[in-house]
Parts: sequence; structure tokens; C-alpha cells
Amino acid sequence: MAWAKTKVGPTQRVVSFGVLALLGLIAVWLLVQQSRFNPAVDVALRVPIQGRPQAASGSVLKATAALLPEVEGFTPLTPPESFGPENLSDKIDGKAELYLSAGFKEMSCRSFGLAGNTRVETFLYDMGAPPHAFAVFSGQRRPGAANILLTANAYATANALFFTRGRFYAEIVADKAAAGLQNSLEAYATALLAKIPAAAGEAPALAVPFPKEGLAPDTVRLCSANSFGCEGLDNIYTGEYTLKNGKATAFFAPRETPAAAQVDARRYLDFLAANGYQKVQAPEAPAETQVLVLDNSFEIVFVQARTMAGVHDATSLAAALELAGKLRLKLQEKP
Amino acid sequence: MNRRDFLKRVGYASALALAAGGLGYALHDAKGPASSEGPKALAGLGDFTAKGRAPGAAQMAIVRGSDRVLLVDKGVKALGGMAAFIHKGDRVLLKVNAAFATPASLGATTHPETLAAVADLCFKAGAAQVLITDNPINNPDSCFEITGLAQAARASGARIIPPRLALFAPLSLPGGRLIQNWPVMAGAFQGVTKVIIVSPVKDHQRAGASMTLKNLYGFLGGRRNVFHQDINGIITELAQLLKPTLCVLDGTVSMVTNGPTGGSLSDLKDTGTMVISTDPVAADAVGLELLGHTLAEIPYIQMAAKAGAGQADYRSLNPVVLGTKFKPLKL
Repeated sequence: MAWAKTKVGPTQRVVSFGVLALLGLIAVWLLVQQSRFNPAVDVALRVPIQGRPQAASGSVLKATAALLPEVEGFTPLTPPESFGPENLSDKIDGKAELYLSAGFKEMSCRSFGLAGNTRVETFLYDMGAPPHAFAVFSGQRRPGAANILLTANAYATANALFFTRGRFYAEIVADKAAAGLQNSLEAYATALLAKIPAAAGEAPALAVPFPKEGLAPDTVRLCSANSFGCEGLDNIYTGEYTLKNGKATAFFAPRETPAAAQVDARRYLDFLAANGYQKVQAPEAPAETQVLVLDNSFEIVFVQARTMAGVHDATSLAAALELAGKLRLKLQEKP
Repeated sequence: MNRRDFLKRVGYASALALAAGGLGYALHDAKGPASSEGPKALAGLGDFTAKGRAPGAAQMAIVRGSDRVLLVDKGVKALGGMAAFIHKGDRVLLKVNAAFATPASLGATTHPETLAAVADLCFKAGAAQVLITDNPINNPDSCFEITGLAQAARASGARIIPPRLALFAPLSLPGGRLIQNWPVMAGAFQGVTKVIIVSPVKDHQRAGASMTLKNLYGFLGGRRNVFHQDINGIITELAQLLKPTLCVLDGTVSMVTNGPTGGSLSDLKDTGTMVISTDPVAADAVGLELLGHTLAEIPYIQMAAKAGAGQADYRSLNPVVLGTKFKPLKL
């Protein structure tokens, strides 16, 4: 059999070349796409092994949710939400560590609308004990903010109120400053305080008050964990001073026993030494008082009975010694 | 067909069959593909740096002022205009910080004006699509709406990709210690050709500062709060996940205290600076100065630089500095 030559018409020829050209274009497109291929797509299209479990976080209400009042003029925008130690960071992200290290138990929050298109969010934290509530209150205190008479520990800024009542710490935050806002926020705070159990009480007065002379207002803080960056140096009260010889921070930490106070003093001294602080010979310093310096920043550490105390970051040796002397006298006055 | 033709054709066919069989035998893999357990993990999210920029082109602009739209525009122009980064038909992903369901006035999230300014420039440069994403701390819908980012997206024609299960895929960073087989929002990158990170400047209780690199935390899924125990380590690894096209760090108003949530307007400070940079590490190095920090105080910046994610010494990039309203940085 001989090869039969087939006659191809012009239309067939055009169609054939058209199909071939189309196939060629598809091949080129595939090559280009392949060169730009993002492997993320390949894996993303598969069934994921883990997703986003925090979607329903906050929906299981805790006891503090019942303490958030509904107040006239405050239109609820959201239902209450509650968070515990396991999911607090789902609400406040990295700030959760501040609360967790201070003994956080639970928190509930809710958003409201106020007249004038103002949005207000309230947060009520149960910190388990009054000192813990004071720790988070004082640790976040806005410098220069005005104290208000709402509770023993309360202040206001242009758009918010912050206060403690016993073991509770509350924030009432508006999204803007406006005329009459403070009155509205205080009305809400009063209603909230009325719902807090009377047993919660007020925060106790400090067991050992700082010397008053030179103490800057509203600078007394309780640091729950890792004070001054020293790991394990927990529950330290601090107060900032301006003295005639410079500035300094006084600190003290009541402990269960004198031995425990000595352990913490040693911990802090070791930390300072590890960070390059050098001992200073200060004949005027009382016995068993350690004085150290680094780059003109002076530290003093001593133990008085079961309290570890001292001076941090003094700008001069004279200021450090003056403040340490006054603090020691105060500690000795303690009954 | 005669006998000769028949034998010829049989010969051709046999040769063809032998050749095909031989080729198959040569390519045969007796062991077969290795079995895999579970889905294959990604090794990264990709390199989205703009190609073809002129050698020596500026990599960073620091612009002073208070009008976010103007600052973004000036800064991008100083780097050669958005057309130097975004080309016709590009599909651009904007990574914002929409972490909290709080209004923009509290400064805890990317400002909608900054987002709108960047999206508009992308469209003007010819972007086919602008996508916006984040995996926020709080409820995603509330976050995008209350922050004003959803409205900004709608107004500019951009589309929000909220996090959903199907977008997450496992990722193992080569050499990584923390990001191993961890769910990452890789699905948001489908078809994406350019990535711009748009971040606020904030204090951060745990990390010291939350800016461009910390913003990448929002690509993570799962119980990511476990990483707070090694915050510098996780941010350093996040810095290696992708190379962005551009970073916009909005320090016109910075949250200088009580971050990352803030709450009081007194936590905010007018720092009057917009940073536009191709280098995320360098951008953050400028941002930390706005917060009053030094490199020594925010370890993850130098760690990220050491890992090859960028330059901690932003001055070495010879940044273009525009505007004089605010006290200049020590350049």
C-alpha cells in the first residue's frame, strides 16, 4: 500500500495552525506560572493540621462578668466576655504577663456606646488579693494623672479611669476625651463599685511606709516579679525620690523570715555583680550595708530584720547614703 | 502493501517500542517516592523584594510630620515612587496590625489613614488587587471593623482576608527552634506577588517594642501565646519567614507606655515620624528610638540582623530624611 496523500483545505489548515498556536500559548503560560510558583499555595490548599482555636475565646463567662453593671446612658455594644489565666493573652496579648505574674485569677470586659458616638470598654480584673491588684494598678500608673476620690487607689486620665477595690482592678476606657465624659465614667465606676462584694475591702496600707521627705507623688509601686530585671526578685515595693544630692529609688521587700530576706539580698547583690557593678568603700555606710556602683549609678542593699531593702539607681553616693539612712530608720520604727 | 513495506513498518514499530521501553527503564525508580507522614511543611513565605530597582536606589526614608497620607506619599516618592515596587497586575498583600478591637484613636493598631494611603498608592501603581490581612488577638471581624481598617479597605477598593482555618498551613523554618510544623497563614499568600507590612510603633510589655517584626506575629495560628516565653527568639524567627517588598512604620503617634494595649490617651505621644523601608530590621531600629529605647534594650532587633533579616544599624542604609517639624534623630 502506498502512502495516500491527503488534500488539506485552507480552512482546515488555518484551524490546525490556530489550535497549535493555542496549545503553544498554554505551554508558555504553564512554564511562566511554574517559574513563579509559590510553595505556600501548595501547602495552603491541603487540610491544615492546626488552625485558629482562639475564635471562641472569652465566651464562657466568669464571676466578674456578673459584676459589670448596665448603667443608664451606656448602651451595650457587645455581650460580656471573660478570660482566665489560660486565655488572657487572647484579649490583651503581651500585657497578660504583667497580670499573670501578679496572681491574676480572671477578667471580664464589655463594650458600651455613649452619647456623642463615644465607645467605652470596661475591664474588671480579679487579682486574688489586694496587693496583687495594687501591683497591676501601680505598675501601669500614668505619670501626672490626677488622683480621684473614687477609692483609695484611683486616678483619671483624659479618656479613662483606673482604680482598685480590694482584690479587684478596674479600667474604664473611652476612645476619646470629651466634655462631660469624666462624669459619665465616674457614674459607671460608682455602679461597678456598688456591685463589688463588701468583703473585697480596700487595699491595706503599706506595712512599712516610705520616708515622706523627697518622695515623688504617686510613684510607690509594687513589682510582682523580676524587679529591676533580677530574675526571682519578687514583690518589691519601690518609691522614687528627689533629694538635694540627686535622684534615687528606695525599695523594700518584707519576707517571712530574716533568712529569706538575706537570701533575696544575696540574689540581688549577685545579679548586680554579674552585671558589672563594683563594690564601693563607704565608711559612712552602716555595717553590713553593701554599696555598689556602675557608671555613676549607685545601689545600696541591706537587711533589716525580715525586710530586704535598699536604694536603686541613685545619681550620687551622697543621695544613696542619705536615702538608705532614712529608709533604715523607718524600718527600725516598725513595731 | 507488499512484503518489503510490511517488514519495514514492523522494524520501525519495534525500534520505537524498544526506544520507549528503554527510556522508561532508564527513568524507572525502583525505590519509589519516600513515604511522608502528614502534610509537607513550608519552609518560608517567600521573597517579595522588588526586582529591577536601580543599583544604589534609596532603601529607607524617614519623614517627619503629622499628616499620615502626606508622609507616606513623600516617603515612597523618596524611594523612587510606588511604581518602583508595585507593577501593573501585581497582587499586593498588606499585613496590618489589627490585633485589638479598639478604635484607632487609642493607637493599638495600624491607623486606617496609613493603610488607605498605602493601598491607594498600590492601585495607582497598577496593582490588580490589594489584599489586607492579619490574624488578630481578638475577634477578627470586630477588630477590622472597630479599628476602622475595614472601612479604609472598602473606601480604597482593597479586600480584607480574615483568618479562617483553610488559610493555615504548617511551616517549619529551616534551622528554626520555635517555628517547627507550626500553623502559619500561608493561604493568604495565594497568588500574591508583593507584600507590604504596615505597622504602628508601640511599647510592648513583653517584647519591649511592637513594630514591623512583631507585626509578623499576626501570621501565626495555634496557641501562639506559648512563644511569649521566648519573645526575642520567636520574633527573630518570624523575621526570617519572608522578605517583604516594603515596610511602612507609622510613628506619627506612638504608644510609648503600657503597650501593647494602652488604653489611656496619655499612653500616646506625638513622635511625628513615618518610616518607609525595604528593610524591616532597619525600620524597627528607627522605631525603637521613637520609643526612647536603644538597640541593647530590644534584643530581637540585633538578633534578627544577625540572622540575616536586615540591618540593625539603619544609618548604614543612608536613609533619606525629610521634614523638620520634629527634632531630628541623631543621624
